[in-house]
Amino acid sequence: MSDRLKTVFCGIEFKNPIITASGTFGYGLEYAKHIDISRLGGISVKGISLRETVGNPMPRIMETTSGMLNAIGLQNVGVYKFINEKLPELRKHDTKIIVNFWGKTIDEYVEVARILDDADVDMLEMNISCPNIKEGGIAFGTDPKMTYEITYNVKKALKNKPLMVKLSPNVTNIKVYAKACEQAGADAISAINTLLGMSVNIHTKKPNLYNVTGGLSGPAIKPVAIRMVHEAFRTVKIPIMGIGGIIDWRDVVEFGLVGASAVQVGTANFIDPEIPLRIIDDLDKYMADNNISNFSELTGKVDLTR
Amino acid sequence: MKGKVVKNQQLNDKYFFLEIKSEEFVTQAHVGQFLMIKPGSQDYTHDPLLRRPLGIADVKDGKFSLVYMVVGKGTKLLSEFHEGGMIEFSAPLGNRFTLLENKRVALVAGGIGIAPVFWLAKTLKTRGCVVDLYYGGRTVDDVVLLEELKENTDHLIVTTDDGSAGIKGYVTLPFKENVETYDMVYTCGPKPMLQTVSEICINADVPVEVSLDERMACGLGACLGCIIYVREGDEIVQKRCCVEGPVFDGSKIAWDKLI
Repeated sequence: MSDRLKTVFCGIEFKNPIITASGTFGYGLEYAKHIDISRLGGISVKGISLRETVGNPMPRIMETTSGMLNAIGLQNVGVYKFINEKLPELRKHDTKIIVNFWGKTIDEYVEVARILDDADVDMLEMNISCPNIKEGGIAFGTDPKMTYEITYNVKKALKNKPLMVKLSPNVTNIKVYAKACEQAGADAISAINTLLGMSVNIHTKKPNLYNVTGGLSGPAIKPVAIRMVHEAFRTVKIPIMGIGGIIDWRDVVEFGLVGASAVQVGTANFIDPEIPLRIIDDLDKYMADNNISNFSELTGKVDLTR
Repeated sequence: MKGKVVKNQQLNDKYFFLEIKSEEFVTQAHVGQFLMIKPGSQDYTHDPLLRRPLGIADVKDGKFSLVYMVVGKGTKLLSEFHEGGMIEFSAPLGNRFTLLENKRVALVAGGIGIAPVFWLAKTLKTRGCVVDLYYGGRTVDDVVLLEELKENTDHLIVTTDDGSAGIKGYVTLPFKENVETYDMVYTCGPKPMLQTVSEICINADVPVEVSLDERMACGLGACLGCIIYVREGDEIVQKRCCVEGPVFDGSKIAWDKLI
């Protein structure tokens, strides 16, 4: 693969701007059996908390038109088991590791962040936007003051690793939240997390998810994500990782044009684990054909003239 | 993986029999495994979005078969594939049934649960087992491939809820009468039936393997959408139906935690 895909994001050099999104790629190891994960720019692992979390009761997923709802409930093995058991295996693959993390209180966020700051990972992604748990998560991501406070406190605790904050789309004005992150010292933002949704089985009259509501992802949410990355890009100077419904190279270019410096591929991994690799190859070809020597040349180049 | 549709035959109002040519798939497949299949042939539409998990119903001559029921958008699209069309699917996924030799075994299938049981029956026959198949459905339309099943079993006992085929009543009744004569029981179908079969087996002290069917997004162990609850000692632990299953020890499942 050529050098043109190399992407520097928060001072870290990724092989390419394609990262697999948290919650859709396990701890990477699940996919290592099916694809060569070292070809990926990076992996954002399943959201990690201080203690092991069992997640929500079933049913947890439901397909919707060009998308899916999930209410997994941030099930994970906990930060220590992740570092001791998953990370050494994952590190055998030559790709960047971003650790998505969350907590129930600011103190818990800070504690997990501190532990990860000393671990062999490349970057932290703070999840303040999961819609599927009662405590923590979205409570911090839908109040600008809380977003500032938690970002400030976590950033202060970090000595080694860059901090990216994953924003919720379930807000009226994402610019306020992007700004709050930047002012609080975040090194980057990723956007968007899932949109809060719901679906009902008309025969049983019951919600299709035990949790009643869930997070909507997949191609259905891409226009919302594109708009929000566009708005965030015009508000802050810190780099943005674009997320939301990416399924092929065209989507990646579109995210680039509105301001993404790199992207995350999420739900598409469920459909076919080859998709992120195909995107890398296709993006390389697109860039070669159009004499683009680096993805950053595309970033924010949407033409708004009328 | 990709394969060529050899046959996509409508068996009745609900059921289809799909045969696909793929040497690559066939050489990797084991009895009890499933695959994720892309329901449409278009690359530029993303609805339906996810692949569908289906049990492997047979493997022979470089071809594999699936039996499916048209229940929604995805299976409707699947039913529209023509002979010669190319179809996309994953590699064979999940664990497998324990294959015995020269034993007396019972297979209990309900409705679409016949899919993995079909290949299992054939395989156990070739391994010298005496194979009795108890096959239940709501109506005559829910019991398919009876001729082929008769050829590959020693006894085929068909039941329907309304008596439109075979014995009227639940399939678990005739099975229960004979359970003690078997060395092993395998079952696939609706969860209440699987639970009843498992309880009958536990009481008779006969080992039972159940094949479970859950909603899945990935089939690879990543989405955590297909959790099964299993008893390990005094604990109830979570297993992923797609990678730790779909075949489980029926005596260990915490049925009341499933949906």
